[in-house]
Amino acid sequence: MKNSATTRQESDRLETKSWLNAVLARPEIGPIGVMLLLFGMLGYFSIPAGEFSLNPFAGEGFNALGIRNNLRVISQLGIIALGAGLLIIAGEFDLSIGSMIGFAGACMAMILRWGFAIVIPYLSFDGGMHIEFFTLVHITDVSALTAIGITMCFTLFFGWLQGYIVVKSGLPSFIVTLGGLFFLRGLTEVSLRAFNHRPDQTKGATTVTEIPDIKNIIEVPGYGEMEREAAKALPEADLTAIANSLPADTIAAITERLEYTYNRVAEAKTEILIAKGVKPMERALENALASGNDYMANIIQDKIANFKIEPVVAKTVTDTDIARVYLDSITTARPVANFFGGDILEPVFDWLYFPVDWNTNNFGNQFAPGLYSCVMIWVLLSILCYIVLSKTQAGNWIYSTGGNLNAAKANGVPTNKVKISLFIFSAFCATIFAACQVFEVNTADAAKGNLKELEAIAAAVIGGIVMTGGFGTIMGIIVGAFIFGIAKEAFFYIPGIDGSFYRVFLGLVIVASALLNENIRKRIMGTL
Amino acid sequence: MSAAATTPLIETRSLVKKFGSFTALNGVSLRVYSGEVHALLGDNGAGKSTLIKILSGVFPPTSGEITVEGKVVSFASPRNATDAGIGTVYQDLALNPLTSVTRNFFLGRELTRFKSPFGLLKMNEMHEIAMQEMKKIGITISDPEQAVGTMSGGQRQTLAIARAIYFGAKVLILDEPTSALGQKQQMEVLKTIRRVQQLGNIAIILITHNEIHARLIADRFTFLSLGEVIGEGTAKDLEGDDIKRLMAGGAKIGDLAKELAV
Repeated sequence: MKNSATTRQESDRLETKSWLNAVLARPEIGPIGVMLLLFGMLGYFSIPAGEFSLNPFAGEGFNALGIRNNLRVISQLGIIALGAGLLIIAGEFDLSIGSMIGFAGACMAMILRWGFAIVIPYLSFDGGMHIEFFTLVHITDVSALTAIGITMCFTLFFGWLQGYIVVKSGLPSFIVTLGGLFFLRGLTEVSLRAFNHRPDQTKGATTVTEIPDIKNIIEVPGYGEMEREAAKALPEADLTAIANSLPADTIAAITERLEYTYNRVAEAKTEILIAKGVKPMERALENALASGNDYMANIIQDKIANFKIEPVVAKTVTDTDIARVYLDSITTARPVANFFGGDILEPVFDWLYFPVDWNTNNFGNQFAPGLYSCVMIWVLLSILCYIVLSKTQAGNWIYSTGGNLNAAKANGVPTNKVKISLFIFSAFCATIFAACQVFEVNTADAAKGNLKELEAIAAAVIGGIVMTGGFGTIMGIIVGAFIFGIAKEAFFYIPGIDGSFYRVFLGLVIVASALLNENIRKRIMGTL
Repeated sequence: MSAAATTPLIETRSLVKKFGSFTALNGVSLRVYSGEVHALLGDNGAGKSTLIKILSGVFPPTSGEITVEGKVVSFASPRNATDAGIGTVYQDLALNPLTSVTRNFFLGRELTRFKSPFGLLKMNEMHEIAMQEMKKIGITISDPEQAVGTMSGGQRQTLAIARAIYFGAKVLILDEPTSALGQKQQMEVLKTIRRVQQLGNIAIILITHNEIHARLIADRFTFLSLGEVIGEGTAKDLEGDDIKRLMAGGAKIGDLAKELAV
């Protein structure tokens, strides 16, 4: 008592936390809990009716195809949530992300379909005053990389412009990017109509189709470059020739795989046939038991026990089959398109099918060929953002720009540059999102990316980003994207409720997260 | 102290600042020596803020000159003033409450592995320096990762002062460092100022309203009123009542008491 008043330091008032407390005080802990809950829900509810299992991986949500599709939704949202989240940490908003996705996708698709030209209009007086056009540059047969590069020039410039207007005018970014939202969406529709229907620009469709499947262009030995599907549809004689030209060990490996697949398919067919034959008898048995006809029940039971069916014979492996599998295994001649729109981890999914026998659908075929490439891009971008935000000088600048703008300025942080860079990064993420979509489905639509800006902001908020800026982590943004993506899928599987309940759920989660975030922020600010 | 008192560390000679037709400062001369706390006192509107804004490079004087270590200087921006060794700790302290002590200490001047905004932070080294520098002027922090928002007002003040000194401030301008603090925190800040004073190589300009604090800590006083110096001297020169009278803009306390009595 006597000494305590003098020896107690101000620093003693800060309790040292135990490891557990430190973990529980992490801002991400709440969202991670929600994420795990949703994981459980998706697994549990997607188990087919009539079966019981506590293993969530027994359900459709986590079979190979489920993982492939769910991760695609999550990672696409995750990519734009990174851009949106970093910008919010720096204290600004970007509402133009969704329109930017539509614009970038349309831009890429148009360049791939019709080429790229720079045209300068000028006033001509030959035969009356009228406007003529001078074509400065015109390139056709644009490569994927060039299309993405040219699109990036437009989108990044637009991101820069929005950032520049915001920092120079002091207008709220909400308004400036709201302008961007309408402007870009309108511009996309206008240009798509114009290009689709040249003479009358009010009539064309607002989509681009008939783009070749660029990521699947392969170099077939002896035939040159062609789309994979076209190669697989070559006449039988050509396919046989291709098969015969293969080395013996390749043929052996492919044959082994095909035999495995054909046997699995045959097994599955046999099972289906048995089930088809047994089911009516089982129903009859139930009826017999219910009516108390023991004699009849015995007969039916006997019949079920002795039910036999001739097992389906597996197909034999032909040369054309071998050639088709070989064509499937040729790596793409367009790695850039494949990087954005292709698949990854194919060997892993092959392994899960052949030796593990898990990646198998009801008919015995391989279920999922791999994961969508956008998953990899999301992972790479997340790692990059994590390093920048948490480990570099730029990260400290981002935090301080959003946390206390005047303090950051007073300490020489180039806050305007920080903000403008993040507006550009947000546009970059939207463009990457668009590239993933365009090269995956080979079409573009002016309506693409609608409302995505709000989903991205929602994911960031769910992940613990504070709307007033200065606070949040990349880990949080990742978790937020997971929650948003899984909720979309999980509610679809809950029996007896409308799938749109996921929006109701997310609405509650968003507000709850925002309250939690604000509480954490106040505790740190020392005002609570 | 008196040994160093040959050339002032920073000196202003008849500074004049006009905003249009309004004269904010009308020929202010000030001498601040290293190792000294120089209290700048005056009522609201006396010109204290204008003076420190000129000294910290926010705007230039209309006429007059500033010398640092005998050399005439002129500042185009706050950065120039900082480079010349003038560190200003404003009332809001220029801290980001949401991030850690270390991140605030090095805000804008982070130590990185290679020179680029994307250079990786040398976190451990920065933690160590921040702890050391704060310890030098009297505060031991248990955790350099602690968010500044969770620190007391006194600790924040110390952080801001330690930062200014570490980044080369020879002249430290403290703008009302004790206002908006509790009694105990005020004493903490005064102790911190005392420790900086004892370092011996730093001159402190202390702007304050609080005559008691000034008397506790300051070696020299300058009183401003309506843009002019109305009194100056060392702590010995000035007797108790003088300070009160000069702070009130020259009116005699006795007169004030009389006015109040009416």
